[in-house]
This record gives sequence, structure tokens and C-alpha cells, in this order.
Amino acid sequence: MKRSVALLLAICLAMGMAACSRSPRQNTEGPAEAFTRDFFAMNTYISLTAYGEEADTALEQAQERIQELEGLWSVTDENSDIFRINQNSGQSVTVSGETARIVSFALEMAEKTDGALEPTIYPVLAAWGFTTEEHRIPAQEEIDGLLKSVGYRRVSLEGNTVQVEPGMMLDLGAVGKGYASDEAADLLREAGVRSALLDLGGNILLIGSRPDGTPWRLGLRNPFEDGNLGILTASDCAVVTSGSYENYFIGEDGVTYGHILDPVTGHPVRNDLASVTIVAEEGKLCDALSTSLYVMGAEGAEEYWRGHSGFEMILVTQDGQVLITEGLEGQFTLDADMEMRVISR
Amino acid sequence: MKKRKKLIITAAAALIFLAGIAGSLWIWLAPHGQTVEILQDDKVLYTIDLTGQEDRIIQVEYEGRTNTVQIQNGRIRVLEADCPDHTCVRMGWLDSAAPIVCLPNHLVIRFTGLHETVDEAL
Repeated sequence: MKRSVALLLAICLAMGMAACSRSPRQNTEGPAEAFTRDFFAMNTYISLTAYGEEADTALEQAQERIQELEGLWSVTDENSDIFRINQNSGQSVTVSGETARIVSFALEMAEKTDGALEPTIYPVLAAWGFTTEEHRIPAQEEIDGLLKSVGYRRVSLEGNTVQVEPGMMLDLGAVGKGYASDEAADLLREAGVRSALLDLGGNILLIGSRPDGTPWRLGLRNPFEDGNLGILTASDCAVVTSGSYENYFIGEDGVTYGHILDPVTGHPVRNDLASVTIVAEEGKLCDALSTSLYVMGAEGAEEYWRGHSGFEMILVTQDGQVLITEGLEGQFTLDADMEMRVISR
Repeated sequence: MKKRKKLIITAAAALIFLAGIAGSLWIWLAPHGQTVEILQDDKVLYTIDLTGQEDRIIQVEYEGRTNTVQIQNGRIRVLEADCPDHTCVRMGWLDSAAPIVCLPNHLVIRFTGLHETVDEAL
């Protein structure tokens, strides 16, 4: 009798204790350990999370890779490829293979978007103070003068040799973080990581799904107020949002000036869009399109989407509408009190 | 006597079992995402449970510049900052998985444990 009572007690204890233990990140094969690396690089805050035994070492390599790319593409680092190109404008400069590839991609996207993505806008951005955070409103003559040094078609790339015309400056800010997220993801995948979430200052890259097999859940910020607009569920893709609702300044004239410039006018974009979210396989495409479609405005963005495959988007208009392309229907849940419309091809 | 002893042991076992279940439910149902971390570079300066936290101000220094962090009514934000852009101040109250970041001062304020509902915000 004593033995049976002791057995009963042991079973109850075991069950009670088992019920108490909780591991939120378990998959069917067992617990997947989470590893995280947080650091500042590429002028933003980067948070990399990956799961599984391989993750720790792979994340270390991914961080090193991102820092290496920052060293190649920084506009201000005297040892970077981009700094050398800009310092030696008018002359051919030999750069690394990575730099040649990203310059090629940036020029290709500039062409595809008819200059809405403009990798030579840096001098105008600097005049507005967005590169130093000492904001000012430049005079129109100053903007007009600087715009003469803007034009991606005057950047030449042959093999690993880049040349910009005298006075011009190349800046990969609109594609660099997306490109770096792809490179980091490649390293993680090669190391065998099957579940990871890479956040390069709002440039999100998702490897696989959550460790429990369910899709990742991303909150899209509401551009008009605190909180989320809604939840996007996604796996194995990149997601990038552009908008001027965080990085802006209010001028002495009381007008709000955002950090994304219209390359035609040299002024901050002021159109019918509040934010653009792009979902695609690669981070670099998301990065390039989120900026350029924001510049184009809602009609231009819709037209571009109909003419090009390989990405989906969520547009938030200034009048509070959410426009979502058909490929994301069922993946996005709107939380905010706004009207949602599905865009079809 | 034997019967009584058996009854006590069974009752004790049942109590332990129920306590386990109750504890488990409490952990599952307790509100998550109320604990925040204030970090500078990789270093966690503060870990704060906002639930029941008294209103207060925390000054965080970085290379001679200061971020004034405010905790009020169970919420947290950067109230003032010496940084040139003030993006961290404009980010308002921390309300999602997207952290409050002050790039010039290398300051990050984020929830720990929002993963059950939202993995990341952008």
C-alpha cells in the first residue's frame, strides 16, 4: 500500500512540475535554442536572431559580414570603396567585387524605376542636413545647383571599375541594408540555420518560419499614431517599409520635411503616400522598391507593381487607406480603424 | 489510522498536482511584454518590469550627452535627448516590438518577451 501511495505522489509531482515548465520556442523535434546578436552598424540598430545549434557561430559570421560590408560602402569611412569613388570623382576607381555588384544593382533599379531610386542624391540630402542631423531648409538656388550633380546615368561601371563625374557622389543608403541582409541570410543558410529573423533597422529578412513551424508575425507601424497598423504573417522572405513618419524635421516655417527626397525636385517627398511596405524574396529588392515606390506615389506604385513581378506591397495613403496587393491577401490583418482595398492585376 | 494517513497523502498529492496546474496557467496567462530593457551598445543598463512600476525618470549618459527616459503609468519613452535628431523622442511610448532607438547615443529601449504575439515590428 505504501508503495502505491508513493508512486501516486511521484506521478502527481512529476505531472505538476511538467505543467509548470514552459518553453515558448519548441518545435516538434525538440527545443530550438535562440541566439541573438544586437549591434550598431550601417547607421542603424541591427538585431539578428537565429535558432538551432548552428546559430551562434553563424550569427557571429553574419555580424562580421555586415560590418565588413559597412566598411566597403560607408560614405564617411575614408577606407571605404564608396569614399574613394567620391573623393576621386572624374577618375576610374577599382573596387571590390561586392561593391561592383551592389553598384550594378543600384544602377539597374534606378533605371527600372526611371530615377525614382537615385543613388547620387547624397549632396542634396546633405544640404537638407539629413546626413549630419543638423537640419536646415536649403535655398532653391542651392538645391538647383546641387541637382546638376545628380544623375545615375552619369555613373559608369565596367567590371570592378567605377567612375562618377566630377562633383558627383555615390551613396548606397537606399539598398545597402537590404543587400547586407541578403548576404547575412546566405551565410546563415549555408551554416544550416533554418529559422531566423534578421532586423537591420526595419529591413526584415525571414529565414524559414518560427521554430514551431508557424509563420513569423510582423507588426507594421501605423504612420499616423503609436501602435501597429496590422499584422503581416510571412515566412522565407524579406519585408521593408519606407516612410517619412520617423526621420523628419519641422522647419522654421512649421512644415514637416521627411528624409526621403524626390530626385526631380530635390525636396522631401510630399505626395499621397504615408508609407510603403514591400514583401519579396530578397532584401535588396525590398529596400530599393520601398524607397522608389514611396517617391512615385500611390498611382505610380500601383502601375509599377502591375508592370513588374516578384514582389507584393502594402501602401498606406495620407487619407488613411490601406492598399494591399492580391498576393498578400490573407496574410495581412488590419488592426487600425482604416479602410482596406485589395489591388488586383 | 492507515486509512487516514492514505487520505492525507492522497490529498497532499492532489494539492501539489493542482498547484502545478495553477502555476502553469498563471505563467501562460500572465501578461507578457511588460518587461523592458534599456541598453547601451551591447550592455543592458536596466531591466524593468513596467507592471506596478512607480513613475520615475532615468538619465542615461553617453559621451557627455543625455537621454532622459520617462516611466509613467506603466509606459516608457524618451522624454528628452541631447542627440541632434530627436528621433528617439518622436518615437513616443514604447508600444510594439519595434524598439526605441537613439542612434547617436547608442541607446535602445525594448520589450523582452513580446514574441508570443509579434516577432518584430517595422
